[in-house]
Amino acid sequence: MKRVLWLAASWRVRAMTYIVLIIASIWVLIPFVWAMQNSIKSLTDTFNPSAIIPFVNYQPTLTSWIKVLGDEGSIHALLSSIIVSSGTTALVLLLGTPAAYSLARFNFPIGSKELNFWFFSQRVMPPVVVLAPFFILLVQLKLVDTWIGLILIYTTFNLTFGIVIMRDVFRDISRDIIDAAKVDGANAWQIFWLIGIPLSLDGLIVTGIIVFSFCWNEALFAAALAPQHAATLATFILASRGTQGVNFSIAAVNTLIAIMPPVLMSLFVHRYLARGLTFGAVRA
Amino acid sequence: MHRLQLSPMRRRRRLYSNSNVLKYVFILPAALWIIAFTIFPFLSAINYTFVNYVLGRGITGYVGFDNYIRVLRSGAFWYSLFITSIYVSIVVPLELVLGFLLAWFVTLCPREHNFFRPILTAPLFTMEVAIGYLGITLFTSEGGLFAEVFGYLGLHIPWMSTAYGGLAAAMILDVWRWTPFVFLISLAVLTAIPDEMYEAALLETSNYRQLMAYIALPLSWPVLSVALLLRLIEAFKTFGIPLALTGGGPGISTQLFSILNYYTTIQFYDFGNGSAMGILYLLFVSVAVAFFYNTLRKGFE
Repeated sequence: MKRVLWLAASWRVRAMTYIVLIIASIWVLIPFVWAMQNSIKSLTDTFNPSAIIPFVNYQPTLTSWIKVLGDEGSIHALLSSIIVSSGTTALVLLLGTPAAYSLARFNFPIGSKELNFWFFSQRVMPPVVVLAPFFILLVQLKLVDTWIGLILIYTTFNLTFGIVIMRDVFRDISRDIIDAAKVDGANAWQIFWLIGIPLSLDGLIVTGIIVFSFCWNEALFAAALAPQHAATLATFILASRGTQGVNFSIAAVNTLIAIMPPVLMSLFVHRYLARGLTFGAVRA
Repeated sequence: MHRLQLSPMRRRRRLYSNSNVLKYVFILPAALWIIAFTIFPFLSAINYTFVNYVLGRGITGYVGFDNYIRVLRSGAFWYSLFITSIYVSIVVPLELVLGFLLAWFVTLCPREHNFFRPILTAPLFTMEVAIGYLGITLFTSEGGLFAEVFGYLGLHIPWMSTAYGGLAAAMILDVWRWTPFVFLISLAVLTAIPDEMYEAALLETSNYRQLMAYIALPLSWPVLSVALLLRLIEAFKTFGIPLALTGGGPGISTQLFSILNYYTTIQFYDFGNGSAMGILYLLFVSVAVAFFYNTLRKGFE
């Protein structure tokens, strides 16, 4: 990424760079490849260590894929995950964008230092601590085991996070542009809607994707508060761990379905990613 | 001159009153939401620690500090604290070192080959529960990939049937899953260091190890320490990977704190005990994190 460093490097440094990066990539890809392999193997082939290359060493089969995708439970879990994650993302963006914009643009008696402290103290708290109160809350609202219940809780956990990141995104907008808009007679709403939002769109999309993957991957509240009707993929996997944990092939298909959506989304958003994940601590 | 300034001033004042309304309207919904759904549950969690509360039977009386005493006397609590601390102190330094080194090599690598970045970032977006679940098939002694490979080398490690094996397996997956976090942050800092810095340093030395140790590392340390802190906070909450991989077993031997607390709260519906456990842990983690925070700050001041 730094041409200066590459150009000045000796061939040994260059070779070393590629060797390390290739080994690391292989290490990263092992579980993905292993899961893909197993997902197209028959049950007997999964226990055969010499079945490595499809069509040569073993006959690939889609049995497991058909079985999982034809299973009502897994499809319902997939649907739950999609609904809960996108619902939360939409709500966080809806509530968070204006708040973040307001915090970035105007002065408040509560400064950004306090907000950061609040945010970090919230992260230190293990989510298990508030599990019981949320359970009672959902019981009272009659939202146990519903999509809305999960969305409500996930929004709570992701809202501060979203605001902290988006505030930094909005801070990047140059004052000159805003002043120019003011001179042209734009009112506060127009500045937000016609300048603020379009200029920070990529930052907001990254925020959305991070929030989406947080919700998608969350297991604790999902398993505890939505065990059946609104079970997400995480809950589904924890449940099938007990019943079919040893079936390599089915486990592989379930894993792939569960991990691929956020991974694929992440491939498209590398700008801002470091910043989003450090809650604005890193500017890149 | 004076009059020229007046008219934009007046316009700005009008805008300010306009934006004053907007300022509060914009922040109100989020603020109300956060107050309603974070402060209230936290306060009731503290309240639960002082009552005898088992679901179905409801609150059956105030018991003072009994819940806390019960937790402090339970061996399972101290055991989980112990293994969680070990887990954190192995996994976090490993991830920090590996993540930084990989970022350094990607920084060296020409831009045309930056497909390494998305590959090395990918694990960060995987579902921990699914990785733990897949881990069963990687580590099980019958046909598991790791078991096969290690067995081929003559090492028969009982991954799934012992505490050491189970924790080690969970740690391997944890390092796989979380190294990208440090990697991504380090990469952001390393590429943000201006070319001139590297150029100047290259006039002095052509040794890349020195370049990394005396230029890249010190310059990224402030941000790297933030990464360390965040990673530390998250690692203390480790839940998904060990839960799906071992379920806390065999017995309670791999029951990290979050798993223990989860079982207490949800499987036994013992809210009083579960909440007391959580609050005590929160104190423990806060002290640990504050300690590291202060040490780190001294490090680069």
